[in-house]
Amino acid sequence: MALAQSLGYFPVVGLRNITLFYYREVLRDSSFLTALAFSLYTSFVSSLFSVGIGVLLSYLLIQKNNSEKLVSIFYKLPIIVPHTVAVLLMLNIFFDSGILARLFYHLDLIQDSSQFSKLVFDKRGFGIIITYIWKEVPFITMVVYTVMSKINSKLADAAANLGANRRQIFIHVLLPLLLPTISSAFIIIFAFSFGAFEVPYLIGPTFPKALPVMAYINYIHPDMTNRPYTMVILMCITFICILLTMLYTKLFNLILQYDR
Amino acid sequence: MRERKWVQEILLYSIVFLLTLPIFILLIWSFTKTWPWPDLIPKDVGLRGWRYIIDPHTKILKILCFSFFLSLAVTFVTLLVSLPAAKAIGQHNFKGKKAIQIFILSPIIVPPLAVAMGIHVKFIQMGLADTFWGILLVHLIPCIPYAVRILTNVYEALGTRMEQQARILGANRLQTQFHVMLPLLAPGLVSAGSLVFIISFSQYFLTYLVGGGKIITLSMVLFPFIESGDRAIASALSLIFIAITLIFFLLINKILRTHLNTQDYFYL
Repeated sequence: MALAQSLGYFPVVGLRNITLFYYREVLRDSSFLTALAFSLYTSFVSSLFSVGIGVLLSYLLIQKNNSEKLVSIFYKLPIIVPHTVAVLLMLNIFFDSGILARLFYHLDLIQDSSQFSKLVFDKRGFGIIITYIWKEVPFITMVVYTVMSKINSKLADAAANLGANRRQIFIHVLLPLLLPTISSAFIIIFAFSFGAFEVPYLIGPTFPKALPVMAYINYIHPDMTNRPYTMVILMCITFICILLTMLYTKLFNLILQYDR
Repeated sequence: MRERKWVQEILLYSIVFLLTLPIFILLIWSFTKTWPWPDLIPKDVGLRGWRYIIDPHTKILKILCFSFFLSLAVTFVTLLVSLPAAKAIGQHNFKGKKAIQIFILSPIIVPPLAVAMGIHVKFIQMGLADTFWGILLVHLIPCIPYAVRILTNVYEALGTRMEQQARILGANRLQTQFHVMLPLLAPGLVSAGSLVFIISFSQYFLTYLVGGGKIITLSMVLFPFIESGDRAIASALSLIFIAITLIFFLLINKILRTHLNTQDYFYL
């Protein structure tokens, strides 16, 4: 359906010619390209940080040997919080009148809320990135922790016996074994944050817009003949996501090899 | 060595602290009446947020019940559809199985935005838009992949032996499914069901688009409050949201634990 509409076939409003015109039009549009770049950038940075912190956290949890029941419940809390609520949480902290700005005021770092540098609705997408990081770190931790707890003891002990220090064990033994898991988790969260609409809509800047937001705004445009543009944008999102899925299945087979 | 442990511990607790801190701030906000800049603690404590929810004019409690019922219905239908699919994938080998598997799981990766906008016109033509059944159908899209995935694992672990044994001992098809397979599947069904419930319950965009503003769920009530920034009400609503999903999450955990204890006994 969306594919047909993106090619300009939309009989409901009388568009019947199949054409690549809309693709050419959209791909040449500079605001589309900025949106694409912005979406790629926020998704990439947030996924990268999530993976980094998530792996670190799961490593720390493994070192504690499951002794902390409470911690293992607490760190999972963000998973069940919907994205819309996550946005609210981040607004509470990072907004001009948020907790962080208030804290800065009391530390005499700023005198007025307007002096607090813009952290949400900003052009660098800090609000979007921090929201995604908060949501995704627990997810990464959960996935990586499960796999790490399977491989940890024997191989790490063997490496330690052979004289490796902790850092060497982590980099040369654990990390290569975890790599398929980490990269597939990375792809999942990247694809999700790339295609999701709520977070950039609620906490993102008005310019540059994220790709899904741009698609949405085109979609609710009263002129129905505008619809093919939306569909082109959506097809671009979908295409990138499908590309990632193919990568993901490849990596999934890799993980299965390690499991055996 | 000891010093390193110390550093690790601080790092661990500070990460976990940062992950949970926003939720506590939310809790404080929901009980706040006024909290002017630049105070670090609220000036007036009040129940304005909570009163708004209980107030019959806002119909929030009614919407809450409706959302709950809708998500339960979605869960039920999802499980009904996913069970045969999972059984086929988990227990049988057939041509094109890989392709079907990837096809079923693809909604996890392909953004719901694309699917929803593509399907919207068809729904309007079929008269499904703005109706309860339309919403129910569209919620199935993100839910089924997860349910099929979990249940496939369960069926794979179960194998066909138990079923065959029941048949050999003289049970008919119906008896086999109800008295043998259902109890064995129960833990998997519960964990898949809880996950599906959470997904459906926190769905905003699909409901918004296909429901056309006529079908209102809790996440749709919440959205404008986050946009407009009435923190007290938004916080109270969010807390209800989190509380309901948390209950389901704890349910999974608890049942998974009993599931793991009985695993050795059942899954030979």
